[in-house]
Amino acid sequence: MATDKPSQQVHQQAIPEAQGMAVAASGPAVDPDARPRSIGGIGLDLLTIAYFAFALFPIIWILMLSFKSQDQLFTTYFRFDPTLDSYKAVLGLSSTTESVPFMKYFLNSLIASFGAVAVSLLVGVPAAYAFARYQFKGANDMLFTLLSFRFAPELMVIIPVYVIYQKIGLFDRHLGLIWVYQLITLPLIVWILRSYFQDLTPELEQSAMLDGYNRWQALVKVVVPLVKPGIAAAALLAFIFAWNSFIFPFILTGSNAQTVTVGALAFMGGAKPRYNVTAAAALISLIPPLVLALSIQRYLVRGLTFGAVKG
Amino acid sequence: MSRSNRPLWMDALTARRSRRGVIGTAAGFGAAAFASKLPLGPVAAAQDSAAADITGDFNWKREDGKKIKALLNVHPYTDALKADLQAFTDLTGITVEYDEFPENNYFDKLTVDLQSGQGTYDVFMLGAYMVWQYGPPGWLEDMKPWIENPSATNPEYAWDDIYENLRTADNWSLKVGEPLGGGGQYALPWGFEANTIIYNTEVFDKLGVAPAETMDDLVALAATLTEKAPGAGFADMYGIATRGSRQWATIHPGFMTQYSREGGKDFELQGDALVPVMNSDVSVAFHEKWAKMMKESGPANWTNYFWYEVGTDLGAGKAAMIYDADILGYFQNQEGGSANAGKFAWHPGPKGPDGSLLTNQWIWSLGMNAKSQNKSAAWLFLQWATGKDHLTMAAIEGNMVNPVRASVVENAEFQAKMANNKNYLETFNAIIQDTKILFTPQPTFFDATTLWAGSLQEIYGGANAKETLDALVGDIVNAAE
Amino acid sequence: MSVATANPPGSEQDGYVSPARRAWRPYFLVLPALLLTIGILYPFVQGVIYSFQNLKATRPNPEFVGFRNYQRILTDNDFWHAAWVTAKFAIGATAVETLLGVGVALLLARNSKVSSFLERFLILPLMIAPIIATIMWRLMMQPSVGILNYILKPIGLGGIAWTDTPAMAMFSVILIDVWIYTPFVALLVLAGLRSLPSAPFEAAAVEGAGPWFTFRNLTLPMLAPYILVAVIFRFMDSLKVFDVIWGLTQGGPGDALIAIQPKAYQEAISFSNFSTGQTYMVILWAIVYLTTRLLISVLGRAQARAAGV
Repeated sequence: MATDKPSQQVHQQAIPEAQGMAVAASGPAVDPDARPRSIGGIGLDLLTIAYFAFALFPIIWILMLSFKSQDQLFTTYFRFDPTLDSYKAVLGLSSTTESVPFMKYFLNSLIASFGAVAVSLLVGVPAAYAFARYQFKGANDMLFTLLSFRFAPELMVIIPVYVIYQKIGLFDRHLGLIWVYQLITLPLIVWILRSYFQDLTPELEQSAMLDGYNRWQALVKVVVPLVKPGIAAAALLAFIFAWNSFIFPFILTGSNAQTVTVGALAFMGGAKPRYNVTAAAALISLIPPLVLALSIQRYLVRGLTFGAVKG
Repeated sequence: MSRSNRPLWMDALTARRSRRGVIGTAAGFGAAAFASKLPLGPVAAAQDSAAADITGDFNWKREDGKKIKALLNVHPYTDALKADLQAFTDLTGITVEYDEFPENNYFDKLTVDLQSGQGTYDVFMLGAYMVWQYGPPGWLEDMKPWIENPSATNPEYAWDDIYENLRTADNWSLKVGEPLGGGGQYALPWGFEANTIIYNTEVFDKLGVAPAETMDDLVALAATLTEKAPGAGFADMYGIATRGSRQWATIHPGFMTQYSREGGKDFELQGDALVPVMNSDVSVAFHEKWAKMMKESGPANWTNYFWYEVGTDLGAGKAAMIYDADILGYFQNQEGGSANAGKFAWHPGPKGPDGSLLTNQWIWSLGMNAKSQNKSAAWLFLQWATGKDHLTMAAIEGNMVNPVRASVVENAEFQAKMANNKNYLETFNAIIQDTKILFTPQPTFFDATTLWAGSLQEIYGGANAKETLDALVGDIVNAAE
Repeated sequence: MSVATANPPGSEQDGYVSPARRAWRPYFLVLPALLLTIGILYPFVQGVIYSFQNLKATRPNPEFVGFRNYQRILTDNDFWHAAWVTAKFAIGATAVETLLGVGVALLLARNSKVSSFLERFLILPLMIAPIIATIMWRLMMQPSVGILNYILKPIGLGGIAWTDTPAMAMFSVILIDVWIYTPFVALLVLAGLRSLPSAPFEAAAVEGAGPWFTFRNLTLPMLAPYILVAVIFRFMDSLKVFDVIWGLTQGGPGDALIAIQPKAYQEAISFSNFSTGQTYMVILWAIVYLTTRLLISVLGRAQARAAGV
């Protein structure tokens, strides 16, 4: 399997994937040939389908909702006359004054979430490397301080941050969001990558340095490519959590830097709750994380494999 | 107290409601403590007002080129305003930037900003109740000096054209428990809702019933509708929808309206102390009746009903009637607004035992930030937005109902527009004189009323009304400390 | 993640730079992250300071009151009620998400045609913002027009009042949380399953060990660290629950769902009792901090055990 999995070279425990999965299944499935078409296999497939029915039904239902018109919203279930009105409203194509500049919010979300993940990677990768490779005074305290931000209720800092942002002009600015999103993204990225680095034997850098690289080059050219799956998985999760954040953008932005989570809710106000438009907005705002997830899918599970847990 | 030697958390775990037991004594202390523990904020004196700086002839162009920032709630009133905003900019040369948030989050956003003292927003929407929370800390500009200064206010403004009860509602001394209608004008009425019965005429006609004239009749009518409507071709229909969620908003519409008509009060001034009296006999009886009605003839999930579930169920033909904001029915009645649009009619609701038609109201008002750096420009905006021209246009071309100005209600075009809403204007005229704020002004309004809604839910869930309301009174006293 | 884990031996074998430079290098690498976090530390400390004051809307010029807020809150049954609601929610949601997540991961690890096809949809529920997901679930649960009772009716379960009683409300709010976050647990555990070594399983098969024996004695112990990480993440976040409760019932019916963070929000923002709300949040922070430290030490032991397999 997997020539795209360089970390396997250094991970002593790594085994061919198919085999790993076969043994992981806690059944007679140890012999791969015995697995398909058994009664038990069909039963387990049905269980799998049952879970996904539960997991996907609300999404399918949101999809249906987004095609309903306002007057059929609450009087129809599965049979209705589909219309694109909700999407038009979200995309700003309908001329009513009730429209919300959703595509602007969409762009804002992209800037803030990508920006936050980029900053977290930029400062988080070296930090994670240092925490994994060096024993230095205060390391544990620094690491725990960093992680403890993840423990803090967001509301605890929100009013002080609001006052500070108003004073230094970061209120309703993308940079302000990028900064405060570090509370969400940085601990996650440091946590996952630190353990990932620990999984790589230090001999790797040493042999690279014997080959004439200096330490910095060894890190950038040899180590970082090996942890790519980990970086991809950590970055995706961080991106999703930043993208879905509600309370920070709600309090810390106005019309300029508002994000999709806050923007989608705006359709719930007014004379009537427009669930259909909110549904369309939710589906449109699903696109970026979905595209990201699909493009790094091959890294995702594997990336988490070594990263999240060790250490 | 038998449990006094046990750690508190054990009470919390084993007998959650046991804290209610303490209340008897707490209420005794509390009454005095309540009044003494509500310190008054700085009250802006009229002579300090920036309005005094405006002299000479009134001039719309006085602040030409300025920019102000508004915080708005997503609302049909706001839509009408946005549609007309260019007219304001043309008139004054002032540009208006705005941020807009849905109602469930709007006030949290506003509170955080006012609390921070940053003056981000020069003008904003607020309800009359918010004056009680935002006024005492000195967050709101008193607009009385502005209205009274002929150099600042255009001669056509016609302040008296706004219904008196509405003007009074935003006018308060900032003294806890003192009635409305004295002191500063902390907000300007902009659009309002009165609470009435709105019903589905198709069901009423088919079953041959008429709107109820007393509370007991209302309970009986709701039960009849629940019993008979499903059999008459209205699948899954039930009798009456009202708000029921754990929010202050559950108390203020139909509930507070009928509560007051039956003689219920929220607080009483006893000596120097403001004492919550939701545990009076009249109140206990009313709570029991209301909870019974909702249990027997309300929606299955009543404790999770916000205003939009109430409107939605009426529109979808699930609720035969609602006791809520008159405009909630109006929006469901517009073409394309709901599956049953065009079938709704209005009724003032049951009279009290003495014939009372007291009606509680919600007033969307506009206020000015006391920390604003652009007060003169903000005032030009406020008098324009609450002025005759904009409000007339907004009511006729937009959905700015109910109008706060008598001249707009009397406008022939407006009357023609409302004619297809059966008995809407008749109902409006029947109750407008008795439509006022029926709560006692005090800054812990939101805490107290949220707790109140929680208690109503508990009574609905089967708790003893008298005990629950005794506990509520104690909790309100505690919360005020 | 155990903070105290020793670094791999030999990690300091670096002969190319002077010892002084080497000593400073980790600080240099960590510095940007630290600078960034100091910017976050300041509002955090400010937030703690507020909890020692008596700031509220009607008292704009606060005084220091020492530990009085803490004393008042910790002796108030409202707090213990909120703590109890939080504990019920956090334990319930984490337990269901863990059991279901592990189950789903095991099913997906079979790699059958059906499961490989469905695996690509696993992460979808995580991608809808919880606040919006909750609004949608709320509409689905509405008895009059919602779809859940409509589709449950044929199997005799129509007319469920999803949030009418405290018990049902707790059930519903956990159900929504389970829908959102089970994929997160399943994803982490699936990653773990796919990295397990094969040798022990082959040996077990040769010995003729039954499936339950294999699962109980091999899979589960080796998987334990992965499961624990998922538990830590989920438990930590469920203690801070807000979006799902606020979106569903705003804490009702009664005060059935007033957990600590909703209570803090209401006090600090809706009621402008700022210092009271802030104190609730500091207490919550301490609870999450201590619980997580405890769980992490458990994790350290589990890792040691798993490594010993």
